[in-house]
Amino acid sequence: MAQTAITKSVTDRVLKENRIRRFGAIDFVILLFLSLWGLLILYPFYNAVLVSIVPNTVYQRYQGFMLLPPAVTWDSYAFTFKNSLIWTGYRTTLAVTVLGTAYNMAMTILCGYALTKTAMPGIKVMRFLLVFTMWFSGGLIPYYLQIKNLHLTDNLLVMVLPMGVNLMYLLIISDNFRSIPASLEESAKIDGANDWTVLIRIILPLCLPLLATFTLYYAVERWNEWYHAMLFIKTSSKWPLQNVLRTIINDVNMLATMNIPGQVRPDVQGDSIKMSSIVVSMLPMMCLYPFLQRYFLSGLTLGAVKE
Amino acid sequence: MTAQSLAGLRRARRNIWREIYNYRWIYLMIIPTLVFIFLFKYVPMYGIQLAFKNYKLAGIAASPWNDLAHFKYMMNEPEFLPALRNTVVISFMRILVGFPFPIFLALLINECYTPRYRRVLQTVYTFPHFLSWVLLAGIMLNLLGSTGMVRKVVMIINPEMGQNWNFLYDGNIYRWVLVLSDVWKEAGWGTIIYLAAISGIDQSLYEAAVIDGCNRWHKILYITLPGIVSMISIQFVLRVGYIMEGGFDQVFNTYTPPVYEKGDIIDTYIYRISFVRTSGVDLGFSTAVGLFKNVINFIMMLSGNLFVRSLGQEAVL
Repeated sequence: MAQTAITKSVTDRVLKENRIRRFGAIDFVILLFLSLWGLLILYPFYNAVLVSIVPNTVYQRYQGFMLLPPAVTWDSYAFTFKNSLIWTGYRTTLAVTVLGTAYNMAMTILCGYALTKTAMPGIKVMRFLLVFTMWFSGGLIPYYLQIKNLHLTDNLLVMVLPMGVNLMYLLIISDNFRSIPASLEESAKIDGANDWTVLIRIILPLCLPLLATFTLYYAVERWNEWYHAMLFIKTSSKWPLQNVLRTIINDVNMLATMNIPGQVRPDVQGDSIKMSSIVVSMLPMMCLYPFLQRYFLSGLTLGAVKE
Repeated sequence: MTAQSLAGLRRARRNIWREIYNYRWIYLMIIPTLVFIFLFKYVPMYGIQLAFKNYKLAGIAASPWNDLAHFKYMMNEPEFLPALRNTVVISFMRILVGFPFPIFLALLINECYTPRYRRVLQTVYTFPHFLSWVLLAGIMLNLLGSTGMVRKVVMIINPEMGQNWNFLYDGNIYRWVLVLSDVWKEAGWGTIIYLAAISGIDQSLYEAAVIDGCNRWHKILYITLPGIVSMISIQFVLRVGYIMEGGFDQVFNTYTPPVYEKGDIIDTYIYRISFVRTSGVDLGFSTAVGLFKNVINFIMMLSGNLFVRSLGQEAVL
């Protein structure tokens, strides 16, 4: 009797702690802190939108904290969309993202599968050669000279070809391929499948979520590309979006006089143009991210937490 | 050598060719990546010899050797040592704030009452990680600049400070702006690895602890933290390995000449002496500075990884 009573009280306590936990003061503090941090993350983006839609003259005179726009104008967006560099930038970035991601994934999948063949002659050396590039590099100048030697300057391919594989992604993907039971592959081989069939018909279908995650990571990397474009692409109509954005942020007046001479109005100057360009180039990410966040958030843990 | 062992050797050799033939498709699969690392990683490594040469337009091989002149000059170059010091100082500041914060945040997220809200928060926290520093620098410079919202608010609280607004032009403040904006961008992403480690902790430990009368604080202190301490130490060692990486993207997109003294890092320094400065810096000198950085990087990462491996954990690299 007494024992069951004790057991029952213990069970109750566990249940209470785990499932029907009361919402206490500490919970409130934690929730408050987490929410504030969330607001702190979101506010700069909201502020960017605000600055882009409030007329510049109103914004400059405004005193204090702006929570809602006192007046709204779309002039800065009209101005931004009239800027041909934004459009060519979008075009370049889209092309580089699609082409680059396909190239990255193809290389990574093929090499990742090859790295699972630990009995293959020479694979240890090849693996070492690959991993070593994560640890040591030639540095900026030798790399710059090599790109020049390959005649990739002012060529859109400079934003694709030099970014073949991300070694970190490669190793994670390869580890996941290896965790697929070897018996699956062996039985397919007995049925007459070759390596290509095994990879395409067995390995890849089993790893689809993983592949989706790393496709997204590569796509984000290519979308955010600016460094190679800054170093190697001199023609402004070939710039990707990020470099157009850089120019606008660094020198909005240059842009204002360059594209639409005589049409610069005080309302659409400076900050509002910068912010509207930022919002325009952030838009695809803002729209896609909430829907794809499941894939975005899973990748890091796939490779990292292993015992 | 007897005829028999010769025949055995020949058979073994035939076997190795046979094996290679069996793997022919796999070799074909790995070749593109090998070509890629050859062209874009190993050929530049061959170019490191430029660090010991005076660059001539004729090419790397044709340039004459120069007796370590670049390394001797490096110590006298007025901007090199400040850049090196800034890199280390800024990296330490980043570790000091940016390393513990994600752990703290992960513990709080783990204690968060409602799972659904937790998901929303995580989505928000990780969003900036996927944006480029080009874009975020634009937002940041506007927010903290002389026309920005932060100044407008400070104007009300402390008009004097608002009048003499130099947030982005004072080197000491700029360093903290770098560190804190990096925490802002990456902390949410950093929590993921710790949350995964926390979710790997055996739930029965918590149940047992409750039976033994543990409160929430005890559970964090005696179960959750010990459960992730190996992950924390691995992350720490690997993070320290990146001490020479000052964060090129962020610094390059936000710094201005007034903060060069406190905010210039090795990578931005290399970029400037190679491509911005017009007067007489030998490309060989930039290569030498790059080599200096990469060698330290290499030693730090290697020792970090060996240390992690010696703990019996699989290193990330």
